[in-house]
Amino acid sequence: MTVLDYSRSLEQISEDLRVDGRGCEDYRCVEVETDVVSNTSGSARVKLGHTDILVGVKAEMGTPKLEKPDEGYLEFFVDCSANATPEFEGRGGDDLGTEIANTLYRIFNNKSSVDLKSLCISPREHCWILYVDVLLLECDGNLFDTICIAVKAALFNTRIPRVRVLEDEEGSKDIELSDDPYDCIRLSVENVPCIVTLCKIGYRHVVDATLQEEACSLASLLVSVTSTGVVTCMRKVGKGSLDPESIFEMMETGKRVGKVLHASLQSVLHKEESLGPKRQKVGFLG
Amino acid sequence: MPGDHRRIRGPEESQPPQLYAADEDEAPAARDPTRLRPVYARAGLLSQAKGSAYLEAGGTKVLCAVSGPRQAEGSERGGGPAGAGGEAPAALRGRLLCDFRRAPFAGRRRRAPPGGGEERELALALQEALEPAVRLGRYPRAQLEVSALLLEDGGSALAAALTAAALALADAGVEMYDLVVGCGLSRTPEPAPTWLLDPTRLEEEHAAAGLTVALMPVLNQVAGLLGSGEGGPTESWAEAVRLGLEGCQRLYPVLQQCLVRAARRRGAAAPS
Repeated sequence: MTVLDYSRSLEQISEDLRVDGRGCEDYRCVEVETDVVSNTSGSARVKLGHTDILVGVKAEMGTPKLEKPDEGYLEFFVDCSANATPEFEGRGGDDLGTEIANTLYRIFNNKSSVDLKSLCISPREHCWILYVDVLLLECDGNLFDTICIAVKAALFNTRIPRVRVLEDEEGSKDIELSDDPYDCIRLSVENVPCIVTLCKIGYRHVVDATLQEEACSLASLLVSVTSTGVVTCMRKVGKGSLDPESIFEMMETGKRVGKVLHASLQSVLHKEESLGPKRQKVGFLG
Repeated sequence: MPGDHRRIRGPEESQPPQLYAADEDEAPAARDPTRLRPVYARAGLLSQAKGSAYLEAGGTKVLCAVSGPRQAEGSERGGGPAGAGGEAPAALRGRLLCDFRRAPFAGRRRRAPPGGGEERELALALQEALEPAVRLGRYPRAQLEVSALLLEDGGSALAAALTAAALALADAGVEMYDLVVGCGLSRTPEPAPTWLLDPTRLEEEHAAAGLTVALMPVLNQVAGLLGSGEGGPTESWAEAVRLGLEGCQRLYPVLQQCLVRAARRRGAAAPS
């Protein structure tokens, strides 16, 4: 990124105009497709500009944690594939992967995001553990937002088989899986938050920054918002510092943009589901 | 045969007995939400580190050491236009490597090192909060290593580690724009949620949400921000950030005095 590009970006952004013609609060075109991987309990693929994320959710049975005996839990793993950018070759992507996984843990670390009690099969003994695996296929800026949209879509698509625990006269427990393969429990993703990353460039902040805009920005604020405008996580990212007044403005913008994002995502997911099994699958070559 | 550990196998995982005890959790006592615990800060106490600091606030004890600048690995990179003030171009800027460690006996349960994801996350938070304050352009191709060790967790551990790390960097003579002061907050659960400044460990455990802010007091810039939980609407978070920034400003004079005392001590000890 040359010095000339940087100063041109600053001028344009101060007039609410970005390099690709968007306004400061506009997202790029998002493509969401669920149920792309057949071996998982739920999956989703999201493309935002050139950023491509694939999420697979696998539900497995395990023992609940000691401190929370009547809840299941989620485990996140993020893999930055070497295809995304050359920097991720070998172990290069591990740091970024751990950072994203830790942010996801933080966002889902409260009672209301996912109803963990519905994942319990029998308290203290069996529960469902959802392994959410995120794969970064291509990287073009704004990773956190895309990953969170993909996780939300994948959780919406997740079908957990219905399981019953039968107890014998001797007291030994047996687990019975329902015969009907379509008999499953679905998770409610109403309260799953979405991340909005606001990058500070010059005196204004932009939503959904491309790689070039991220290079211009010294500091960003990551806000995780639910559909009702409740903020579940806040984090400052980057090498620079932020003015306290900018932080308050960015939080308000994040809440506004987040609500709109949630509404459109919900409508798209419901529309895709209503198309049923006859819908045209785009997959990876479309 | 006394204690043949190979044949007599104990359980693979051990838990503290408190987990099985009847629920005798006392709720944290009500208190003034803006009170800061008295802080003891001392800089320049480790002889082997370039700079060091020890911070104690209530039950939280953090020790931080800084070493460097030393040559960074993989430091052969091209040049570019120099930055303002004689600083190195962006590709040659120095690096700050932060490490956050919890002693195994720091919390209620024993946590064997390495602590895994949480320590990496806090180390990254430390790095992101300290980078705005350090003039890395003045240390081209070099790296500064900051390592924070949490000896006891009595609440707001990350905030204490941030403050101790900034003091240690200043004690090491690293060029900085300003000190970084950290402050922790936590929100009490429903009903009547209020934001409490500088929570104790009991208050943190009962909290619905937590937030750590790092401020550069003279420049009035927020260097770091990390918060999560059910904090409610944005107005509630904004109020928490304001409370945190105020707490940081109140803490600043104590740290200034600590650095002055450390400098005097060093001056007195140096051979004339």
